[in-house]
Amino acid sequence: MSHNDHGSHNEHSTHHVNYLAIFFVLCGCTAASVAFDLLSFSSQYITIVLVLSVAVAKALCVMMFFMHLKFEGNWKYVLLAPTTILALGLPAALFPDIGVSYYKNTAPQSGWSSEMDAWHAAHATKAANE
Amino acid sequence: MSHSAQPTALKMGIPIPNSKLGMWLFLGTEIMFFTAFIGSYIVLRVGSDGWPTSPDDTHINVIAGGINTFVLIVSSYLVVVAHEAMSQKNFAKARTYLIGTLLLACLFLGIKSVEYYGKFAHDILPGHIPENPRQAIRKVDRELESVVRSRFSAYTDAGVIEVAEANDFKVVVTKIEEYGAGTDAKNREDLKASAIVDVELFRQYMDLHDHMVSNVSMTVPAMGPAYTEARSKLAEGEKLPVLTLAEVSDFVTKLKQNEKYGSFVAAGVFDPHPVLYGNLFASTYFLMTGFHAIHVIVGMILFILAIMQGSKLDEKWTDWVENSGLYWHFVDLVWIFLFPLLYII
Repeated sequence: MSHNDHGSHNEHSTHHVNYLAIFFVLCGCTAASVAFDLLSFSSQYITIVLVLSVAVAKALCVMMFFMHLKFEGNWKYVLLAPTTILALGLPAALFPDIGVSYYKNTAPQSGWSSEMDAWHAAHATKAANE
Repeated sequence: MSHSAQPTALKMGIPIPNSKLGMWLFLGTEIMFFTAFIGSYIVLRVGSDGWPTSPDDTHINVIAGGINTFVLIVSSYLVVVAHEAMSQKNFAKARTYLIGTLLLACLFLGIKSVEYYGKFAHDILPGHIPENPRQAIRKVDRELESVVRSRFSAYTDAGVIEVAEANDFKVVVTKIEEYGAGTDAKNREDLKASAIVDVELFRQYMDLHDHMVSNVSMTVPAMGPAYTEARSKLAEGEKLPVLTLAEVSDFVTKLKQNEKYGSFVAAGVFDPHPVLYGNLFASTYFLMTGFHAIHVIVGMILFILAIMQGSKLDEKWTDWVENSGLYWHFVDLVWIFLFPLLYII
């Protein structure tokens, strides 16, 4: 329920947004993501860059228009910048210890790679024959 | 004497309603919450030597994920037009949009449940996934033992075996065999009939278990004088062939095809399928999608509270709908990143 502590506050309602157009853009982006998955690019990195770029574009659309951040005052930076910096801090802090050296030398299962590959190949052939 | 105009009261703080400020502060913490999961997932994945991506290993269905993304986008659109309708004081229309959002949230959870069911049906659960052939063989051994013990529990319940001796397989099997061959009129005929089958299943289990312990192929004996004799015939440096996953896979398939006990085996033993880093995948998958699903449920509760107002839904609920909408868009936002990270890459 509302208590309009600062009086009538409908700043963003004065801005006309074509929500249906944003909706179609989001649907198109989702279809593009699935299409990038179905297309086989020469490198997996191309798929990663494409689908994550589409995800960022979709996120920006949702935040700017559906969440009205495009029309909000500068308070949005005060509120969201610190949380974003802190949020990025955790993966950045984990990366040197976990991302760079995790399971590299000591993981026992890594030693089974050749047998695993052979088993998977046999399994795939068996499944194809069935 | 002049009357100067009263100075306007100084307004401090951010020029938005307190409820909206509260929601944005909450969403700030939520950003950190989900970024911790997503960031850890990326770091763990980058740091691992391999990662399961084949649908055969993960049972990830990109079409189901795509449909769920579409469902959330439609629901986000409905929420934003519901808020617009509230601002225009068209409350009946707003309520209809909110009901649409709620139904789409149910659809999202329904599709997610089907996906979860697939994971459970193939035992793709944290800590359950063998990551190499040896672990896969051990898992089959454990599951088959569990099936045998479950079958044997019927004899303990019937008083054929004392609880105290139930752990000694040798005693248990002897007693069940005697029971099956017995002519006591008081014996339960159904249990007598199954006794022979259960003992046969037990022998199959022991055959696998012995070969696993000795780590020798099922083509050679694993225990007793035959095993000793096979070893004695080996030249110096020569070893008996080791037990392979392919052999165990065939063994399990044959057990499941057996018309007498195949159904028990099929219900309790999964097809062996080692997946390198499968447990890490399952942990991160369930952690992220699980917490996201919890957020979907919370959003549904927020919408239900507004919908329940019925014809009493009025402008007092405008901020509620706006704040619920902000929350819902955030839920959509999280899924926008989960979809490519979990389903596509």
